[in-house]
Amino acid sequence: MAVPRSRILDLMKVQSRIFSTIYNPTNLRLGNKILRQRLKGPSLAAYYPRRVATFKDLKALYPGYEMYDAFEEDRLEHIQIAKSRGKGAPKKKKVADTSSKKKRR
Amino acid sequence: MAQFRAKKLDLGCFINIKVIRDHTKRKVFEQHEPERQALRYIIRNTSLPQRTRAQAQLQLTQMHCYTRPTQIRNRCIMGGRGRGVLRDFRMARFQFRMNALAGKLPGVQKASW
Repeated sequence: MAVPRSRILDLMKVQSRIFSTIYNPTNLRLGNKILRQRLKGPSLAAYYPRRVATFKDLKALYPGYEMYDAFEEDRLEHIQIAKSRGKGAPKKKKVADTSSKKKRR
Repeated sequence: MAQFRAKKLDLGCFINIKVIRDHTKRKVFEQHEPERQALRYIIRNTSLPQRTRAQAQLQLTQMHCYTRPTQIRNRCIMGGRGRGVLRDFRMARFQFRMNALAGKLPGVQKASW
């Protein structure tokens, strides 16, 4: 029942041709397992959600239209309240003022 | 490294410098992955001359560290945390809890029996 080695090699050759693998009867390390690996870059790069259109973009697209930005209105209202209570941000200094101060130092 | 960073930010999640850095690393790795795999193939292929393989080894080790996949770490998309991030939800444990309790994660339910 012993099958000659040449027959088995032939079989392997046909097998590798059909399944389009590398014919490597002596089990050399040809590094083909690297080539068989999938590239995982695209899936890794898609981890973080990308920026989608923002309200600013919408406003830039339709410059003439009146739109209501709830977040911006909230922010402005909050600033208004803070200012009325005297808790607003300080006013910016004039540029000339700061330069003169630096000179004095 | 700043030379790899995109000029315009294209992230839509929580942003801090660590998230930006990780995102940059991911994109740089994606760009250089074929090159890395080719070098790895040359190194692993024992039928190539030893000199070529050694050169490929050198070239691979001299590539920028941002092109390395081991530099990439999953971070929380809600808070940028690097620890305790659940891979399925891309969120750190506390953010996951808050979002799940708020019902923002479809299919997630608090266990009760």
